[in-house]
Amino acid sequence: MKARKVAGLEPDGTLADNAERIVRERLDELCAFMPTAGDPSEVEALHDMRIAAKRLRYVLELTAPCFGSYARTATRHVRDLQDLLGEIHDCDEQIPAVRAAAARLIGEDATALARLAEGEDDADPALLRRVPHRREHAGLAALETHLRGRRAVLFARFAHAWSELERKGFSARLEYAVTERPEP
Amino acid sequence: MAKPQTVDLDPAEPYRAAGARIVRMRAQELFAHADGVLDTTDIERVHDMRVATRRLRAVLEIFAPCFPANEFKGVLREVKALADALGERRDPDVHVAALERFAAAVTAADRPGVARLIAEERERQAAGNAELAAALERAGERGLHERLLALADQAEAPA
Repeated sequence: MKARKVAGLEPDGTLADNAERIVRERLDELCAFMPTAGDPSEVEALHDMRIAAKRLRYVLELTAPCFGSYARTATRHVRDLQDLLGEIHDCDEQIPAVRAAAARLIGEDATALARLAEGEDDADPALLRRVPHRREHAGLAALETHLRGRRAVLFARFAHAWSELERKGFSARLEYAVTERPEP
Repeated sequence: MAKPQTVDLDPAEPYRAAGARIVRMRAQELFAHADGVLDTTDIERVHDMRVATRRLRAVLEIFAPCFPANEFKGVLREVKALADALGERRDPDVHVAALERFAAAVTAADRPGVARLIAEERERQAAGNAELAAALERAGERGLHERLLALADQAEAPA
């Protein structure tokens, strides 16, 4: 996902004023993924929201000292959110990979079984005991089951974390904090 | 994970001066992590270098308007290429660790399938390591570190 261009950046302006513009844009980018990313089937929106969280996190990690104290608190919230979205993304990448591996082994075993049954009128299920990957299917099914279950648990945590951020006024408080400047 | 150097920030500091200073610091950190990064027995080294590329890339993007556009684009592209190569090595490291944890938690009957995936990830890890070695060599040949420092100097030069 390409980052939105930040308008009005001035190389000769102060660090704080420019960082304020960047944080505002990145915050807006992050919040724009909701409510779409609140649907667990919106894999792409969740992935893009993770990238948006990462961008906001990095700019805040660097420039939070330029702003009011809530900017540091927001940095922690965004880091936690990004970590959680990262874990969900890992599941979303691994589930299809495990399915593909399982499908490949099933395909190879089906071919092997057909070869074993060559010349017969039908394929005897007992031939399954002689296919090459017979001991590997169970583990892949268990792994996919675990990944899907874990993904559901992580998504519930994400939905709760986001509703807590909203309840605590995360976005409005960060927008205010970036207008503040620490005492020299 | 290696902690980045603390950056002392003055909110009133000119944006371009801060950009130059922080790019120098993050570039130095990145190349300081290159030692031993191809050692597959210590997966934290590649993780630390990958995190350093992310921090550098983030800083380049945050201060992008302070740099001459053409040089900036080329340098950013090369930092991204290095980050991608580190990712190709790091992802299998993470998958192997996760699969080994899973295998340790399940019954013996479920382990053979997981062992197969671990073996495949080990092959990806070896391929990723070869790719990373080539990316590091390219970065050296193209003087990426020196070009990052030159970019920082240009940010500070009067317009």
